[in-house]
Amino acid sequence: MAGPDRAPGKNWLGRVASLKFTLAILVLLGIGVALSYQNRDGGWVTWLMVGPLALFALNLIAAIATHPTIRTQAWLLIFHLALLAIILLVAAGRLTYLKGAIELTEGEVFGGELTRAESGLWHWWRLDRVRFVNQGFTINYAPGVQREHTYNRVRWVDEHGIERTATIGDQTPLVLYGYRFYTSFNKGFAPVFSWYPAGGGAPRRGSVHLPSYPAKEFSQAQGWTLPGNLKVWAMLQIDEVILDRDKASRFRAPEKHRLVLRIGDDRHELRPGGRVALPQGVLVYEGLRAWMGYRVFSDWTLPWLLASCALAVVSLALHFWRKFSAKPWSPA
Amino acid sequence: MERELQLLWVAVACYVAAGVVAIFGVVLGKRPERTVLGLLTAALAIHGYSIGVRWERLGHGPFITLFEILSSNIWSLTLVFALAYWRYRPVRPIAAIVMPILFVMMAWLLVTDPERGHLPATYDTLWLYIHIGFGKIFLGAVLVAVGMAGVILLREAGWGIAKLARLPADDRLDDLAYRFMALGLIFETLMLVAGAIWAQDAWGRYWAWDPLETWAFITWLTLAFALHLRFTVKTSPRTGAVMILSVFALAFLTFFGVPFISTSPHKGAI
Ligand code: HEM
Repeated sequence: MAGPDRAPGKNWLGRVASLKFTLAILVLLGIGVALSYQNRDGGWVTWLMVGPLALFALNLIAAIATHPTIRTQAWLLIFHLALLAIILLVAAGRLTYLKGAIELTEGEVFGGELTRAESGLWHWWRLDRVRFVNQGFTINYAPGVQREHTYNRVRWVDEHGIERTATIGDQTPLVLYGYRFYTSFNKGFAPVFSWYPAGGGAPRRGSVHLPSYPAKEFSQAQGWTLPGNLKVWAMLQIDEVILDRDKASRFRAPEKHRLVLRIGDDRHELRPGGRVALPQGVLVYEGLRAWMGYRVFSDWTLPWLLASCALAVVSLALHFWRKFSAKPWSPA
Repeated sequence: MERELQLLWVAVACYVAAGVVAIFGVVLGKRPERTVLGLLTAALAIHGYSIGVRWERLGHGPFITLFEILSSNIWSLTLVFALAYWRYRPVRPIAAIVMPILFVMMAWLLVTDPERGHLPATYDTLWLYIHIGFGKIFLGAVLVAVGMAGVILLREAGWGIAKLARLPADDRLDDLAYRFMALGLIFETLMLVAGAIWAQDAWGRYWAWDPLETWAFITWLTLAFALHLRFTVKTSPRTGAVMILSVFALAFLTFFGVPFISTSPHKGAI
């Protein structure tokens, strides 16, 4: 086996390719991972990973270019090339990814807006092209309020103008224009309202998402602002058991419920169809629906990463296979 | 559940008997190898049956509670070790080192609660089985290497040199141990990739540095470091053995420590 004595020349490339440097980088990377794991929030933390990974890539490129052992053993070479590809792809992915979240009431169309988003510097936004409808979902619960499978029906129009439907959930996302939409545990109830402005004008309809259910079962309240800067606060009072601790049940919007509204100093209690007349207009409570929270993820590198990983593992296995079968182990 | 547990205790008794016979074999300079292999095989069959009965009863595999994870790993680690034992005759006495490690896990198993846990919806995928299967082979391969590393270190410490003389010389042990480490690297890499595929499907991200992912990655880096150290500075079998133990310790903590510091295997899971 080649050792340091067969290391490449002492020119600058040879130094960058040094295998002692590799050892140092592996240690640095380990420390970087451990530190960034403990200090997740600091902005500087990113550099604890980016620094060692950049050195890793440089060292690897130099070794691939100059190291005799790595160049003459095809599978070892392919393995290290695949490692390099993985690092470069991960870097490209970090620059162009998008991670976000949305919430859609049953029947609502996704219009391209995210409620929360985090993206790489060069993410190529195409979300404005994406449209789909949440057509409602079913989630069963085992006794003890243990969530089981999620079945979420969605509808969209594909690139050829054909209407399509699918059921997504758990392991199955909806993939549109490279964006992957995953259902999540985050879901809840949404009172739907219509607003009829005083003195005519087009009525408006909208829903308000109450906090996640059952995660925030005991704080089912939300505030928002109506046209004309009217501050409204609503609280849902459920008068039946939705998710039963003692037996299997299903997530659904409660039938027996009241909505307590607070507008200014006035308190109102509404059931579906109930209304509140105000000087600015009339607010009608249409009923209760469910909303689903989706995780949105986009990273074009995924298939390439998978291919590079597959190549890395296969070449690693073949390298060792060749090496060990050329010289079977013997006890003496 | 009674029946499952009874079978389990019978299997544990067989494992312990195999280990005790192996240890006495080394101490007394005897070779009770057929007995050891026979006891291991019987233990694996009975234990495997017990796991099967529980699987059938609960409708999910042994990977939810600590009890299930320990039990299934004792089984898979013994299986990998028994295969190595059967195949590599010259190193069979390493059973005297490997079995006591499994005893520790069995003692831990005895004090864990065998109640059922809840299977999260995200666990209902083939990728989980693939991920876990690769992980078990990885840990098994490293355990076999630990057996040889243990012999090297015991000799180094001057303990039982005569008793261990029957085993191949240190450099030969080191060579074989690192073949198992190479196997471990392949399967750990496969485990990480299968895990990432599962994570992408289940939680919409392939990697998020959750505690398990972080420690599994650090273990992978340590394994890469150990292999590189070996040809970069031509390490002695002793240093090689210390590296093997470090990788095993990290892997062991990742498998059995981290999931129970945070409440569920993979925090993002539920
Ligand atoms: C900075 C990054 C790296 C560089 C520059 C590098 C370079 C090299 C070189 C030059 C060799 C051949 C050594 C010889 O036999 O003389 C080698 C072997 C090897 N490297 Fe790397 N490597 C790097 C990272 C990694 C990583 C992260 C792994 C992952 C586990 C890895 C796994 C291996 C393996 C398995 C061998 C073959 C060992 C054997 O045949 O016994 N390398 N590497």
